[in-house]
Amino acid sequence: MSEEFEPRIVGFLCNWCTYAGADLAGTSRIQYPPNIRVIRVMCSGAVDSVYVNRALLEGADGVLVGGCHLGDCHYQSGNYKARRRMVLLKNILQTLGMEPERVWVKWISASEGQRFADTVKEMVDELKKLGPNPARERWNI
Amino acid sequence: MKLYTLPIKEGDAPRTVNEMLRRLLIDKKVDAILAMTETPSRKSAFPTMVSDPEKLATNVFTPLLPVSTGTMVSRITKLRGVDRPLAVVLRSCELRALTELVKLNQADLRNIVLIGVDCLGTFPMNTYSSFPGKDTPTETLLKGENAEKYMRSACLNCKDPTPKNADIVIGVFGADPGKELFIGARTEKEEALLKGLGLKDVKDDKGRKKAVDEIRKMKDSRRELFIKEKSGIKGMDKLSEFFDTCVNCHNCMKACPICYCKECLFESAVFDLEAGKYMGKADAKGAYKTPVDSILFHITRFNHMILSCVECGLCEQACPSNIPLMDIIVPIAENAQKEFGYLPGRDPSEQIPMIVYREEEFQDVGE
Ligand code: SF4
Ligand code: SF4
Ligand code: FES
Repeated sequence: MSEEFEPRIVGFLCNWCTYAGADLAGTSRIQYPPNIRVIRVMCSGAVDSVYVNRALLEGADGVLVGGCHLGDCHYQSGNYKARRRMVLLKNILQTLGMEPERVWVKWISASEGQRFADTVKEMVDELKKLGPNPARERWNI
Repeated sequence: MKLYTLPIKEGDAPRTVNEMLRRLLIDKKVDAILAMTETPSRKSAFPTMVSDPEKLATNVFTPLLPVSTGTMVSRITKLRGVDRPLAVVLRSCELRALTELVKLNQADLRNIVLIGVDCLGTFPMNTYSSFPGKDTPTETLLKGENAEKYMRSACLNCKDPTPKNADIVIGVFGADPGKELFIGARTEKEEALLKGLGLKDVKDDKGRKKAVDEIRKMKDSRRELFIKEKSGIKGMDKLSEFFDTCVNCHNCMKACPICYCKECLFESAVFDLEAGKYMGKADAKGAYKTPVDSILFHITRFNHMILSCVECGLCEQACPSNIPLMDIIVPIAENAQKEFGYLPGRDPSEQIPMIVYREEEFQDVGE
């Protein structure tokens, strides 16, 4: 048997909440798996579907879109719009049989370092069950 | 909608409609008409803007969709709406597209009279330009018997061939186009426009209503069957096989009435990577094909426009590789539009789902 499958996760985290939450997890030395690569965005509402799809097609096993709690978005409604966009994205992935469950959306505030760490842990567990993204091996897409 | 009939002269419906439109020009009720007009070679037809009544030679039944008239109205009015009255004749999918373009701030309907025509379907450009039948394409279409065998898949499975949100309707369903057509007027304003055109009042519109209901029902069940048959494109393997012959030309996007962006993200510098990145991509996956990002392009295009997709099939018609794009687009559009309770072209006062939201909705996504 080859070594255990370690999921690779790309996280698009909003500057004002989830990114700060991730930062807090780090500075508070809360332990969480090193499987996530974080990309800071100004708002979850700035995450176009192209970023998520690109990550998935390049072989990321999971994508986390993280924003402020509903009602707390620094730009008022960015996370509500992000939610609609991700609903659409998942709906399309579902129709195409492309594992929408690889895409996670979480509202995590700047003070929720533990919640961020727990989210990553939970994602890693679930993605291990799901197995590697088949796109990782595809050269012809 | 007030309903009239237009008696057809010499069994020639396109000519009779052309005469009716000509009257609108002569009587100065409109200053120009934009409608399908055959080219001199008769190999093709295009929406053509005519202001000289002598030059008006429209054929609103031409079974060809070279471009969407919705796109053309957007082109014409995008900077500023017209300041003189213009009548535009559109088929159902073109009207739906125009309604979406108005919502997207890409068209201005001021001073425009929308004339919707019941659509009997269209043929692919190649079939039309070297038509194999004895009759002309239009005759074949209006006679109906053999028309389906030439028809584009998008038209066979059209979601609704009757025009929505038109000011004036030219109705074929429920009428005998060799003898008479229905003409409908939305409000008194349009009734005034239609005065003096030799139309007869229809006392009882039940026949027309029933015919429209029947055709909608028939189309609904056909489309449902189509979706059932085509929902087999599932998973990475099937998806990449489906797009294996895609040459990344982006014609599908250029032909699409809804893809209005002047510069598509996929034609911008965003995807110009440094050489090292390309080599890095090969390192990461072991191999990758060029040009890159064919599937990313398609999936992203769906994400950006599918809620407004009017199922005109212009994308499929534009594809040089004959990829049956409607096979993938119709199931995606159906599911996505259902999720948001949205039907493109239904109501101009509805907003595009991606710019609005409600606090209490979709609570299973995001926690
Ligand atoms: S995606 Fe295709 S079918 Fe849908 S509106 Fe665009 S061209 Fe028409
Ligand atoms: S028109 Fe056809 S070949 Fe060109 S990008 Fe679209 S699907 Fe690919
Ligand atoms: S700023 Fe955090 S979601 Fe908008």
